[in-house]
Amino acid sequence: MSGDFTEIGRALPRKEDRRLVSGRGRYLDDLAFPGALHVSFVRSPHAHARILDIDSAEAAEMPGVVGIFTGRDLDQMTTRLRLAPPIEGLQPTELTTLPIDKVRFHGDPVVCVVATDRYLAEDAAECVSVEYDQLPAVTSITEAFAPDAALVDDSLTSNMVSHQSLCVGDPAARRAEAHRVVEARFSLHRHTHVPLETRGCVADWDDGRAHLNMHIGNQVPHPLRSQLAARLGLSESQVTVMSPDVGGAFGQKIALYREELTVAALSRHLRRPVRWREDRMENLMSAAHAREYECRTRASVSETGRILGLELEIDEDFGGYCFYPANYMARVIALIMTGPYRIQDYAYEVRVALTNKCGAGPMRAPMAITSWVMEGTIDAIARDLGLDPVEVRRINALGPEDLPYKMPTGELLEDVSPRETLEIAVDVIDVAAFRARQAQARAEGRYLGLGLCTVIESTTYGSEFYKSAGIPGSGHESAWVRIEPSGAVNASVGLMGTGQGYESPLSQAVAEGLGVRSEDVTVHMGNTDIAPYGMGSRGGRGATAGGGTLYLCALKARERVLAIAASMLDLNDAGGLRMRAGQIERMIGDDWQGTGLALVDIARRAYLDPLALPEGIAPGLDFSHSYDPPAMTYSNSTHACEVEVDPQTGAITIDRYLVAEDSGTVLNPIVVRGQQQGAIAMGLSGALLEQVIYDGTGQNLSATLADYLVASPNELPKFEILHHNTPNRRTPAGIKGMAEGGVMGAIGVLANAVSDALAPRGVTIERLPLTPQSIRALLREAAPSSTKRTQP
Amino acid sequence: MKPAPFTYHRPASLAEALALLRTHGPAAKPIAGGQSLGPMLNMRLARPGHLIDLNDLIELDRVRVKEDMLEIGALTRHHRLANAPEVQRSLPLLGAAAASIGHYAIRQRGTIGGSLAHADPAAQLPLIAVTLGATLVISGPAGTREVAAADFLQSIMTVDLRDGELITALRFPLPVGDRWAFEAFSRRHGDFALVSVALSFARDAEGKIDALRLGLGGVDTVPLRLPEIEARAQGRLADEDTIRDLAAATAAAIAPEDSEQVPAVYRRELAETLVIRAFQSALTREEGA
Repeated sequence: MSGDFTEIGRALPRKEDRRLVSGRGRYLDDLAFPGALHVSFVRSPHAHARILDIDSAEAAEMPGVVGIFTGRDLDQMTTRLRLAPPIEGLQPTELTTLPIDKVRFHGDPVVCVVATDRYLAEDAAECVSVEYDQLPAVTSITEAFAPDAALVDDSLTSNMVSHQSLCVGDPAARRAEAHRVVEARFSLHRHTHVPLETRGCVADWDDGRAHLNMHIGNQVPHPLRSQLAARLGLSESQVTVMSPDVGGAFGQKIALYREELTVAALSRHLRRPVRWREDRMENLMSAAHAREYECRTRASVSETGRILGLELEIDEDFGGYCFYPANYMARVIALIMTGPYRIQDYAYEVRVALTNKCGAGPMRAPMAITSWVMEGTIDAIARDLGLDPVEVRRINALGPEDLPYKMPTGELLEDVSPRETLEIAVDVIDVAAFRARQAQARAEGRYLGLGLCTVIESTTYGSEFYKSAGIPGSGHESAWVRIEPSGAVNASVGLMGTGQGYESPLSQAVAEGLGVRSEDVTVHMGNTDIAPYGMGSRGGRGATAGGGTLYLCALKARERVLAIAASMLDLNDAGGLRMRAGQIERMIGDDWQGTGLALVDIARRAYLDPLALPEGIAPGLDFSHSYDPPAMTYSNSTHACEVEVDPQTGAITIDRYLVAEDSGTVLNPIVVRGQQQGAIAMGLSGALLEQVIYDGTGQNLSATLADYLVASPNELPKFEILHHNTPNRRTPAGIKGMAEGGVMGAIGVLANAVSDALAPRGVTIERLPLTPQSIRALLREAAPSSTKRTQP
Repeated sequence: MKPAPFTYHRPASLAEALALLRTHGPAAKPIAGGQSLGPMLNMRLARPGHLIDLNDLIELDRVRVKEDMLEIGALTRHHRLANAPEVQRSLPLLGAAAASIGHYAIRQRGTIGGSLAHADPAAQLPLIAVTLGATLVISGPAGTREVAAADFLQSIMTVDLRDGELITALRFPLPVGDRWAFEAFSRRHGDFALVSVALSFARDAEGKIDALRLGLGGVDTVPLRLPEIEARAQGRLADEDTIRDLAAATAAAIAPEDSEQVPAVYRRELAETLVIRAFQSALTREEGA
């Protein structure tokens, strides 16, 4: 693909910002529904308990209360969620809309109170009395896998809901012949997404039409509609999903949640609009959690640090319920683990535990831990062999001569540049100069550290990926482009933005394909009656799947426009024609010259004078297209950062942060920069501050924003972003997708930098988050400093 | 996260506010900035039947230097405290501590009376009040009384405030030593400190410490003033050995709560480090700054 674009790559401001930053966005709570009822959920105070009795008699008599509904009631109105994809080692699961017999985590919704406003609903919810018989709570992976563990899901044979392994090549033989076998451990803590706007929905059942209008901020409107229809026993013609502006999602707004299904079922049952706005406590406690992993690696290495074989074990704490197949996130980690490195002998074992915690789901970079594990393993090798960590990376990194490269898991890397981004990062951060500063600082008893982290980011998952993963579903996307009689250009795609800034880049993809200005294209998203059936927004698929499909669809439209133009200009074919900024131009000699024809003239002909169209061309200018991306597209980057650790307080200061990134063809550099900054910020916030905390009895101790700490700009450094973009030759316009790699890189680079800083004390970071108290605990137990004690 | 039902009152004068508090007794709760009470209401941790909004009592929003004291009205916002010239001249320690509270929006709303009444053991203003020996002026059914901040603060969110009573002012004795510092360690900018240290002292002609006042926040159920450390410092040269000795003695003198998230040993380490840093900061700050 040539980079000769006029619209793709423009630094066009985000179109949605006009309304969003001037307070004129329309979020769910901005939508008025006269007479709407409000719900409040009674939630379990226990991690694991049998529900013995629910007494709502007093609450039912309270002012404003319209109805009180339990799991048994909802079971009559909805079908159950059964997840049983034919994946070896995955136990099938089934769950009711609200729990009937027992609760599985602190915050599990048990009863739904419907009242005329939220205040009254909460007053009544307080008066619903639920009698529980407490059961032993399973609060860790170790407890879950213990032989006498209580069963989180009574229908399963054990808490190990998923168990897979793979062995490629002969890692055992590599281990036997290795110079050294280096082991490393990585423990990532439980996070949650913390969208600025919590979950919420308005279900508006139209009883006359027997139709459900579901207003809900969601990343995947069409799959959500399919789910809603199926669970309510409706046809897909009877449900419209409409997503208004959404204040963030990060993966939390993909699944159809039990609360949302309850609200939809009750709107139909009560024949009234019903609305629910999750409060912050509910969101932190009960929406979805993510990222809780224990990983171990064993690398067989040569004397020079060359990795001969790699073995990986992953255990994941999945929480109490499966809203996704339980192997879904951990499997991707295992699949892409070897990422930027030449490794062919590889084995993994992945075990997923059910515990009495909130259910896990994908969160921006569901594979976030991957880069820390791989790059932390590289640093462990360097430490063990006394080698320079940069050299260990160089000797193993994939270079241009290795591409295309088939990873041991069969994943194909092409048009990636991990060695190049590594060299850029190493060069710009000036490792040699840093090492000199570090040595000087160490002599003064100060702890400076440098970290590196190269990321291979899986972005766009094509249907071929799902098929080989055994997951029913598709990775395709659909789009339409319509040129109206006035020449106005409308387009739509199955994605739904939740703050990323889709409107400009997607307009640019259409404008580039068609030959108009991006300002003149409007992209409509989020309404399933308008948008084509697409798979929505998840992973890093927006640009390649969404932008790519729109681009291809626009190319189709252009071909028709130029064909009509050719006939209007009495030309035999459109060979010498093009459209730029909506004007038809003709190549005369070596020059593109105006023809006097514009898109509006073509549109008028197509709609208002169709008999004048050339033979075989149908009236109107309405196009649709669907596109299935390659099995997987990859972006890559190398992160580098410098930190200083205060040995007295354990505080970490990030002195410098840079990333060299290959994001392929960039649709819009402003949006890409926002995603790079946002992803790094999210990764650092998680590595330093954020942590879902359960105590030993399964009580959630982090259900307010005073307890679940999210970084503010005060805690974050400036990010230097360096570009090394190489287009993907297999995708439309060379688009790759991006937006999650920053999270992966930030976690790994920070952990590695802190390990480097504390190396003189023999401390290696194996566990996140890097709280000051955890750093102090490591230093307290570590070898005493070899240098003289310094002034704090 | 919606409050339980309550009746809202907005008195126009102190007398009216006191009458309402008297009428409704324990069912009444005054609200000023609402920075702590607001969330507690929404989480239904506080459930007053009557909420008495004090925001019209502008006579309680005042900063006044009298002969031997700085008097601060209970409704004075943190932002004013942080910026008032009277505070900066006579008690810069108080101004600096107020400036470190939360974020700008919080400082615009939060009040000194509210902060003392809420009695968070990690909050800035209770710590400064205890360290500097402030007294609270309290009006109520039995008239007006004064109580020392150290006696007023009884435990976490527990204070000596009886039914019908309202804090109207704080009085900080003047003068205090010209060397001062406030050091706090928190996870994020604007968060409550894990540990905070406030100190103030004078130096005699030979550079010896005189009249040290040392207080710590976040290490007990109330902000703690440490008279035995103050006595230990009296008359000693403010050099590195003294500072280290006082810091170590401070760490030994406290018994912070031990929890899995923040172990006692960590709070003790922080206390020691922050005392050292506070002395260094007090000694290196230029005169008059």
